[in-house]
Amino acid sequence: MGAAVTYTESELVLGLKARNEKYFGYLYDHYSPALYGIALKVLNDETAAGDVLQEIFLKIWRGIERYDAEKGRLFTWMVNIARNTAIDTLRSKAHKLGQKLHELGPNAQASDQLTVQPVIDHLGLVKVVEQLNKEQRVIIDLAYYKGCTQEEIAKILDIPLGTVKTRMRNAIIQLRNILKQI
Amino acid sequence: MDVQRYISSGVIENHVTGLLSETESREVMAAIQQHPEIRAAADAIQQDMERYIEMWAKKPPAALKRQLMERLNKDDVEEAIPVVEEQAATFAEVESFSSNGSMSLQLSPLKMWQYGAIAASVLLLVSTTLNIVAYSNADNYKTRNTTLEAGQVELTAERDAFKEQLDHTQKENSLMKDPAFKWVKMLGVGKHSGAVATICWNPESKETFVLAQVLPEPPEGKQYQLWAIVNGKLIDAGIFERDSAKALQKVKNVEKAQVFAVTLENKGGSQTPTLDQMFVAGKVAG
Repeated sequence: MGAAVTYTESELVLGLKARNEKYFGYLYDHYSPALYGIALKVLNDETAAGDVLQEIFLKIWRGIERYDAEKGRLFTWMVNIARNTAIDTLRSKAHKLGQKLHELGPNAQASDQLTVQPVIDHLGLVKVVEQLNKEQRVIIDLAYYKGCTQEEIAKILDIPLGTVKTRMRNAIIQLRNILKQI
Repeated sequence: MDVQRYISSGVIENHVTGLLSETESREVMAAIQQHPEIRAAADAIQQDMERYIEMWAKKPPAALKRQLMERLNKDDVEEAIPVVEEQAATFAEVESFSSNGSMSLQLSPLKMWQYGAIAASVLLLVSTTLNIVAYSNADNYKTRNTTLEAGQVELTAERDAFKEQLDHTQKENSLMKDPAFKWVKMLGVGKHSGAVATICWNPESKETFVLAQVLPEPPEGKQYQLWAIVNGKLIDAGIFERDSAKALQKVKNVEKAQVFAVTLENKGGSQTPTLDQMFVAGKVAG
């Protein structure tokens, strides 16, 4: 495992670009939980999330040539790939999320069903989940993890379109405040 | 740009959480490129979001890594034949990432690019076809419009002519019915026997009209002129046409008349009548 060696991000990138599988193993060990967490939260299904995680890492492996450290952190880049791949799968599975949402009905319970109820084994997460109110958690989850548009969120939560942006900003501000305490 | 206001508008939060449309996101990216403060704000939100994401981290099943490494080896063998689709996908992602530097990506660039490309091609084809159709239609319409416009002008002119004619006819009708008007029939004089013209004169209002019934066509440069004769003196009553569209042609007001006569004069009329060119004459009754 990566406990023995630690690579800096630039060393890791160089190793990956050199097609060295040792670095890829390291990358997997260090980042797969975060990326798996994204896939799991998006898809709400461990098997599907596992498949998607493999897709994510294959994309990283194949696309590493095009990663540019000057443009942003490696983690940010990978997180983007993970989110895209997972939401893509979600969309192709559900065909239209809107349809699914429609079936569930436009109430708060519907959005509860769409968000993963986590097995909380992380102290920080406990705090976040405790201190972000449900409304704030739901709006972040719908936007970030379900890839919902403003219009879709407005419909799901039954709030005016203009309120979505404001509520999102408040949620992020609250998240920041909580993170400062941890 | 008011940077502080922009930062507190909430648009960056919406960008990072992927809530903005592609167009809106592009605008935010441009703002990030331009203003270091906006970049700093975006980076801070990005990091918060990443911390939140990491909180949801979960160790994947151990078997996954082995499976993945196997696929990777297979992938390496297959790399001689590049997977164009996948490369396009990653390229799209990297592009999106690099132009952005933040977490908010457009969803599934591969699909979007593919569908987008197909949709764009189809739309282009449809649009081109429609353009051609529309163009030729427009051309047709243009021609038709010109024709119709010309037709309309013609019809308007015709209608105006008819209206004028109708007005005149109605006026003539009312003249003919008006008992105040005296009708004086002028018959051919001398060698001009057979010529006929009629005067319609109102002694009270002095209004006078002439009806040129039978008059020979005047030679070039000549014109008929009406005279009112009072006590042997001929007073000019104006010129008139031989073949006017109007039956009754208005001439000069006539104060007094015992006899009306028509002579042939030079075009434009004469001060004094050419008496040997008198064609018709008629005595006012009473």
